[in-house]
Amino acid sequence: MTLLELAGVEKHFGGLPAVAGVDLKVNEGEILALVGPNGAGKSTLLKAISGLQPPTLGSIKLLGKEIAGLSAHQTRRRGVAMVLQTPRTFHSMTVRENVMIGAMFGSSAGTTSAPSIADRANESLGFVGLTHLADQSVDTLNLHQQRFLELARSLAGRPKLLLLDEVMAGLNDTELRASIDIVRLARDQLGVTVIWVEHVMKAVMSLAERVVVLDFGSLLADGQPADVMRNPKVVAAYLGAEIQTNG
Amino acid sequence: MTAVVLDGIVLGLQLGLLGVGLTLVYGLGGVLNLAHGQFAVLGAIVIARMLDASFSLWVAIPVGLVCIGLVGLLIDLTLMRPVYKLRGEERVLLGLLLMLGVGTIIDGLLEWRYPIEALSIRISGDPVPILGVSMRIGGLVGSGIALVAGAALFVFFRFSTFGRATRSVIQDEEGARLCGINPATVRTTIFALSAVLAGLVAIARAMTAPIVVTGGVRLTILALIVAVVGGLGSVSGAFLAGILLGVVSTVSAFYIGSYITSIILLATAAITIVFRPSGLLGHRP
Repeated sequence: MTLLELAGVEKHFGGLPAVAGVDLKVNEGEILALVGPNGAGKSTLLKAISGLQPPTLGSIKLLGKEIAGLSAHQTRRRGVAMVLQTPRTFHSMTVRENVMIGAMFGSSAGTTSAPSIADRANESLGFVGLTHLADQSVDTLNLHQQRFLELARSLAGRPKLLLLDEVMAGLNDTELRASIDIVRLARDQLGVTVIWVEHVMKAVMSLAERVVVLDFGSLLADGQPADVMRNPKVVAAYLGAEIQTNG
Repeated sequence: MTAVVLDGIVLGLQLGLLGVGLTLVYGLGGVLNLAHGQFAVLGAIVIARMLDASFSLWVAIPVGLVCIGLVGLLIDLTLMRPVYKLRGEERVLLGLLLMLGVGTIIDGLLEWRYPIEALSIRISGDPVPILGVSMRIGGLVGSGIALVAGAALFVFFRFSTFGRATRSVIQDEEGARLCGINPATVRTTIFALSAVLAGLVAIARAMTAPIVVTGGVRLTILALIVAVVGGLGSVSGAFLAGILLGVVSTVSAFYIGSYITSIILLATAAITIVFRPSGLLGHRP
């Protein structure tokens, strides 16, 4: 079943197209990696879907309902959660309070009762393995933990679609493996569909079931990871160099 | 000396509450409300007019607070809309100029229509001895109002759903939007709340000194100093700064002279900006 459908999506900045007419269908339960050279429009496309930077033109449908033009808080309440590369945590709150905010306001199932908020926050923290840090201030967390916290905050709202923007950048091998496991678990156990912008090709090859390549704001290739990475147009887009997929 | 310090604490609690309203609006949307003191005076004059019309204090106070809250709501829903569409310095400058205009209009209207009106609330009762000093009952009730309002704000921001949403927007607006929080709703509600807080300060202050129609500018300046010293966006910082500046104000007025007090307070704010730009309890971005 199609969860997300993009048709002719464009995003212009000062008249210049960062995303130039993207058509894409994403099925429920897919883990889709969005890759491409720097400046290809990947993050812009994610932000257009999330409502952080609504598209200039085109249609974005979630389960058949139009969400293009909605603000980020509105798309979140319809089930679209996004985690940015730079963590956007609330520094004066504890780890648990941060996740509770996601459960309180970001639920696609409407208003949530107080016990349910606490339960969801604890459950989400357990899911990403941060239960032992629940009562600590966010300031005490490292980058990797802050990204996991953001993931927990997103999952606490029970999203249908999770948008991840280079959340694995700068992680060491252990942290990368942990991140890959958690995203896969989120799909397997919570049924979340994932669209994920990533430069770490090792992670893409390990986790993605489908890879979509963008270049100059347009869709260049779409398919199985191994097939896409061998596609001559994709190789050429990456400055003609063979794409390193084994880290 | 004890009496002077206690008077300073009484004044400081009121200053703290005054600064909270200004600091919240700035923290949420980057708008320096230069009509904040005029909001307080407007609320006071509404109450004074109702008392003149023989309404009881118990009717006049809620009506005055609701009126000033509605004024705040109206301003946010109209004048502030184009301001919030801007970013960075442009937002700060347009907000500052528009609110300066609102303050000027309120001042002008009040001076034109009610030039000699003032709110003075007399609380009957014998002075209460505290640390060997006889404290006027009006000052204590005024301080009580500020303390209760401060405690209520603390509980509101710490434990209520809307309070948490407000803290989220103050700390990271984009992060809050990604959590499903609508910053516009939060800003509008807090702008109206800030106006009500200004009215509450006027009520507390009127128990120790009359609130006159020309007093708005001075109250705005005091609110600005308190908010800068406490840390723009910090509620607890505003209360701490209010108490410190209240004590500094009364001590300097007593030992040096009231003429120099304003200069000392402004110098305190300037020194704070130089040595601690984020204020006493503000968070450096």
